[in-house]
Amino acid sequence: PQGVSHRLRGSLRAVRSRAPQLGGSFAVWGGLFSMIDCSMVRVRGKEDPWNSITSGALTGAILAARNGPVAMVGSAAMGGILLALIEGAGILLTRFASTQFPNGPQLSEDPSQLQPPPFSNYQQYQ
Amino acid sequence: MLPASLGRTCLGRWLLAPRRCALLGTGTGAGTGTGSCLRWRHRPPLLLRPARQSIGTQAGGLRAEKYGDNSKDVSVQRARNEETLLSAAQKVKEAGRDFTYFIVVLVGIGVTGGLFYVIFKELFSSSSPNKIYGDALEKCRSHPQIIGAFGDSIKGYGEATRRGRRQHVSHIEYVKDGLKHMRLKFYIEGTESGKQGTVHVEVKENPETGRFEVRYIFVDVDTYPRRTIVVEDNR
Repeated sequence: PQGVSHRLRGSLRAVRSRAPQLGGSFAVWGGLFSMIDCSMVRVRGKEDPWNSITSGALTGAILAARNGPVAMVGSAAMGGILLALIEGAGILLTRFASTQFPNGPQLSEDPSQLQPPPFSNYQQYQ
Repeated sequence: MLPASLGRTCLGRWLLAPRRCALLGTGTGAGTGTGSCLRWRHRPPLLLRPARQSIGTQAGGLRAEKYGDNSKDVSVQRARNEETLLSAAQKVKEAGRDFTYFIVVLVGIGVTGGLFYVIFKELFSSSSPNKIYGDALEKCRSHPQIIGAFGDSIKGYGEATRRGRRQHVSHIEYVKDGLKHMRLKFYIEGTESGKQGTVHVEVKENPETGRFEVRYIFVDVDTYPRRTIVVEDNR
């Protein structure tokens, strides 16, 4: 239909009818992903990019559980790859941001918390 | 029109045959009908309807094809005329559009490939800070002094970003005496009364194997009493 007002009304109608469903599916995806992510962090005890990738794969698998095992595997692969891409982008960003500050601390000697090397006296005697 | 009329007469014979066969109809036409009616007696109801339908559609289809042929001829002629109207300018526009789409696809594939390469190197290469952090955490978890100070289950994490995720491990790479060194710093936490500690790791590149070897690992206990536990020292 021509006319801006017609199109606006049509799009508003579509938004009102589809928004709950779309928001609901996003909420389910995000909620399930965060749940699995936090559980994995607790179980493994360390925070890793691996947690996010596995969480994405498991979320994709669970949400496709109605369509049989083959669909679950495909959906898991898609979720895992999507999250691997997002993690890669995050890592790139942090690396890029850290190289913006070129002057780091000058590290030429070992930290003071360490005692002098245990075998240095031995070498001196030689 | 001719095949349609023939079909209708055959149809008519089939329709009338079952009624008349009992009467032993007269005439040669009916004779063939009676000859065949014994055969066709049980089958006509099944054959008649699809036959009627097919004949109807055939006749209609013949008519439609004739019209369709005309329209097809017209459309073919029209297309031929339009093709010659596609001048060089239109062709250049089409080619330009295809080219930009191709460039967009290439850029997308390049970006995706780059991201995959980054994540692959980060997770699987042995010289990535994440791998070194994982190995150092495992060594800390199996060290008796650390277990005594922090408890059984030790959690490890890195720098906290604004969203609260702590996946990034702060590291610095530098070159000393022609060999690559890397220093890492991450935090560990135990279950015993909220004890927290900072782990400092330094690795040095082994020139023969090309892998990173641990130079030292030591842990600063941040909570009171402050002390330093040396896990490994290979200097």
